[in-house]
Amino acid sequence: MKDIKDLSKKLEKFIPKDKKEVTKNTSSLGIAMRLSSELVAAVFVASGIGYYLDKWLETKPFLLIVFFFLGAITGILNVVRTSKMINKD
Amino acid sequence: MATNPMTQFEVYSIGPKIQIGNIDISFTNSSLFMVITVALISIFFILSTQKKSLIPGKMQLLAEMIYEFVAKMISDTAGKDARPYFPFILSLFLFVLVANMVGMIPYSFTVTSHIIVTFALAFFIFIGVTIIGFIKHGISYLKLFVPSGVPAVLLPLIVVIEIISYLSRPISLSVRLFANMMAGHTMLKVFGGFVVSLGILGGWLPLGFSVALTGLEILVAFLQAYVFAILTCIYLNDALHLHH
Repeated sequence: MKDIKDLSKKLEKFIPKDKKEVTKNTSSLGIAMRLSSELVAAVFVASGIGYYLDKWLETKPFLLIVFFFLGAITGILNVVRTSKMINKD
Repeated sequence: MATNPMTQFEVYSIGPKIQIGNIDISFTNSSLFMVITVALISIFFILSTQKKSLIPGKMQLLAEMIYEFVAKMISDTAGKDARPYFPFILSLFLFVLVANMVGMIPYSFTVTSHIIVTFALAFFIFIGVTIIGFIKHGISYLKLFVPSGVPAVLLPLIVVIEIISYLSRPISLSVRLFANMMAGHTMLKVFGGFVVSLGILGGWLPLGFSVALTGLEILVAFLQAYVFAILTCIYLNDALHLHH
């Protein structure tokens, strides 16, 4: 009986530490991927909108340029928001 | 042996060619692996819930763990109001997870490494969430694009930025999953090719890398399914609880 208790005590020392590390690692990898794709997606979407508006209104290439920068702003804003949300958790 | 690392992503039709108008709808290897994915999930749940005992067996325990994992994820991120959407999120999570994991088996095909598949999933979520938002809040759902406490001069700019941010959701959701799966599988194949070309003398190092990368890829496969599901919950939360 005593042996088992000793053993479980020994095991306890190892288990929580390991578990914590794994979850921390996985979530930080997830965060990195989330942030990067968030940044890129906004630029792509905004540039796409700019490109098609240009085609439609025949104002090449002004709207594309304007929307590219708007997209960059949005991307940064998204990253800030996402990291705020992650920090809250 | 195919040395081109991109050949693994090729979609080809198996069986007879079926065409409706200009659209080719023949059964491809991609469709086959989607069917396998759905079949695996169905078989697993049918088998594990067949003998419902108070003290669960191994299969039942696993099914219950999956259920609780997803239920907890939904209640943590989207609250109680999101309960009715549990079946959808569970199916979504399991489909992406099992498709990713099936793709890890050598010589199989990774369904989620094609942007059209992930984009279809993400776009469906995007449309669904928007409809839910409009049903719940009516026209005032558009307030999502007008944050409070912004000076009137900046408002047009902010509204445009908010709309871009909203529209970029399905893109970021789909590109993340697709890019991760494709990059991972390409990298595995490239290192596998190094093993062959360096031979018995120098091939050991890339072989080690391949083993390590396989482990990493299994982690990524799980993680991306999790991120996909949790972001769906977050978007659902935005639609259900309008707060700004």
